Amino acid sequence: MADSVGKVVIPGDILSEFRASEKTSKVALGPGLRQEGEEVLVTKGGILRHKEPNLYWIDCHQRRYIPAKGEDVIGIVTVKSGDVYRVDIGATQPATLSYLAFEGATKRNRPNVKVGDLVFAKLLVANKDMEPELVCIDSGGHSSGYGVIPADGGFMVHTSLNLVRKILSPNCDILKFLGKNVPFETAVGMNGRIWVKAKTPKDTIVVANAIASSEHMTNAQIRTMIRQLLDKLSGF
Amino acid sequence: MQRYYSVGSNMAATDETSALLRSFECEQNLLSRPDGSANVRQGDTSVLAAVYGPGEVKMSEEIIDKATLKVIFKPKIGLPGCAEKLQERLLRNTCESVVLAVLHPRSGVNIVLQVIQDSGSLLSCCINAACMALVDSAVPMKCLVSAVTCAVMEEGRIVLDPDSKQEKESSAVLTFAFDSRENNVVTCSTKGCYTPEKYQECLSACGAASRNISSFFRQAVERRMSKEL
Amino acid sequence: MAADFKTAQPVEYYRRFLKEDVRPDGRELGEIRHTTLNIGSITTAEGSALVKLGNTTVICGIKAELCNPTAEEPKKGFVVPNVDLPPLCSPRFRPGPPSEQAQVVSQLMADIIENSGVVALEDLCIVEGKLCWVLYCDMMCLDYDGNVVDTCVISLLAALKNVLLPEVTVNEETGSPVTDVEKKLPLNIRKCPVATTFGVFDDHYLFTDPTNEEECLATGVLTVVTTEDNKICCMHKPGGTALSESRLQDCINRALTRAEEVRKLIDETINSVER
Repeated sequence: MADSVGKVVIPGDILSEFRASEKTSKVALGPGLRQEGEEVLVTKGGILRHKEPNLYWIDCHQRRYIPAKGEDVIGIVTVKSGDVYRVDIGATQPATLSYLAFEGATKRNRPNVKVGDLVFAKLLVANKDMEPELVCIDSGGHSSGYGVIPADGGFMVHTSLNLVRKILSPNCDILKFLGKNVPFETAVGMNGRIWVKAKTPKDTIVVANAIASSEHMTNAQIRTMIRQLLDKLSGF
Repeated sequence: MQRYYSVGSNMAATDETSALLRSFECEQNLLSRPDGSANVRQGDTSVLAAVYGPGEVKMSEEIIDKATLKVIFKPKIGLPGCAEKLQERLLRNTCESVVLAVLHPRSGVNIVLQVIQDSGSLLSCCINAACMALVDSAVPMKCLVSAVTCAVMEEGRIVLDPDSKQEKESSAVLTFAFDSRENNVVTCSTKGCYTPEKYQECLSACGAASRNISSFFRQAVERRMSKEL
Repeated sequence: MAADFKTAQPVEYYRRFLKEDVRPDGRELGEIRHTTLNIGSITTAEGSALVKLGNTTVICGIKAELCNPTAEEPKKGFVVPNVDLPPLCSPRFRPGPPSEQAQVVSQLMADIIENSGVVALEDLCIVEGKLCWVLYCDMMCLDYDGNVVDTCVISLLAALKNVLLPEVTVNEETGSPVTDVEKKLPLNIRKCPVATTFGVFDDHYLFTDPTNEEECLATGVLTVVTTEDNKICCMHKPGGTALSESRLQDCINRALTRAEEVRKLIDETINSVER
């Protein structure tokens, strides 16, 4: 239903007339849509989105993280058992992370990971029937940003999954605008966890609060909010 | 915390009894800890529902090919007893028939229902609250359920969405839950004695009213999503 | 071969049978298992009945005790039903506190007693505000092979019809109750509720009186309780497959016919018992 794109749909709605890709004549259905026989059924309440050429999905306010292959997440190491770490990523089950899945790790040279550490990792296996599996290296064996997040002054905030998607979308300039004024490091996990670290704890808290409160704001509102925060920070 | 407040006007049922539903209000996403929450108010009856899940589940309750649903029904006063167990089972089975549990095997979805005020039509309010909380939590669902209670008065008149006084004076109270796709009966629970003819009358009156509730549910989701449109 | 198929693919196994309008135990879709009834099997109880519906067996014993009515309702006695599903009746149940299923069936029995008005609670009152009867109706399942609700309702009704209560007088001087064991009166049964349970398979096939296996495979169940004046006193459909109005009406009609048969059976058995 090309005309319901951008509109609100609720579970039980039946959609049809999807635009298929010209090359493969296939339609790709994302989260919240499900094929049942000849029909496409909506399973979540939210807004139907479409991306050229043939991708459809439902945008909704979800809090619980459902692992998806290839997504970057922030996890907390909960258990060290044998040759894997168990990492809480906020999903149904804890994810596993092999100690060999770090840059330069070998059987002899184990990475220094302790229980309670934060890790920024990529989901290698994410499947409803299997335990999710994380890796901290890319296909070339390099860390490329993944790995243990050093515990020296950073701060992790829990946000909604929707906010994470918003922050990462190219239309949203909160990170760019904040970064121009307060230099900080950040790691954004698709599981609704955002880690930030600025020069001082005060700055860190300002950045974290700015991000957490930006969920329902437009770009213009975000800029005003950040300016106000910065004014307060510099003592006005 | 973002609050969405929507007030439904009195909705007229297309029935010769011309009965009205009491004002129907729904507030979603009002609790910060659960994955989804909703407060549904039908007149003075108010139920708060919270959904946690899909999350971890006890080993003994794990089902290998689908999610385990659990409903916890908290009465306004006192400890839950036998009657609440029957309610819990009824609510759980109702939710099970609309939730696509196969998409999250070996996980658990917990639904907690807290009665805030009981002024009649409690069961239908509970079902509606559970349904809205499930939509809010974005647990995959086949369709929605909307429940309507009606009372058969001594003289044979049918009152939709009765309050506790009308329930007490009535000869029978019937609650139906309908699916939003085919408008068929998912759940049915009755009190008191009535003839099969009266039953059919109540069923069609409630069926008509349930369409109003279904369209109200859509409005509620639209309002919740309005900022992103 | 068939047994292997059943173990590996129970749903498909069942589906093949239903396609031919027959069930694995040889019954047609609308056929109810053979019902046997024995009344007055427990001599120490005030009333009792043993019911077998196919393999499902339920024994119901009713004990009467004297007690004080509540201050709110001084003219009413009590009927307290309880359904016990012990581990002996099925491997599903574990020893310990009552299972969820037992609590649900107990509550359903209480609802049926209240809604149908099978016993008027005023009949149990002896002296207003002072003395009344409490009837403890204990239903024990001996073999659990599906459809306990129907079986429990039959056993309860038959046992209630079997109840003989001694006449009670109150001694004027001491105020203590005196029972006259010689003079026993039957209970006044106002209504005769009978339950009929239906199962739905694959969202399409509707069958009556499901066995345990069928209950596990069914996508929905529905219980209709009717009384002899062709009224419905309980319609319990806890979720499951959504049914249309016409199918519900079909269920009601079938329940009315079935109830007639059961009432006939109970009456015949009662008449054959010598008192």
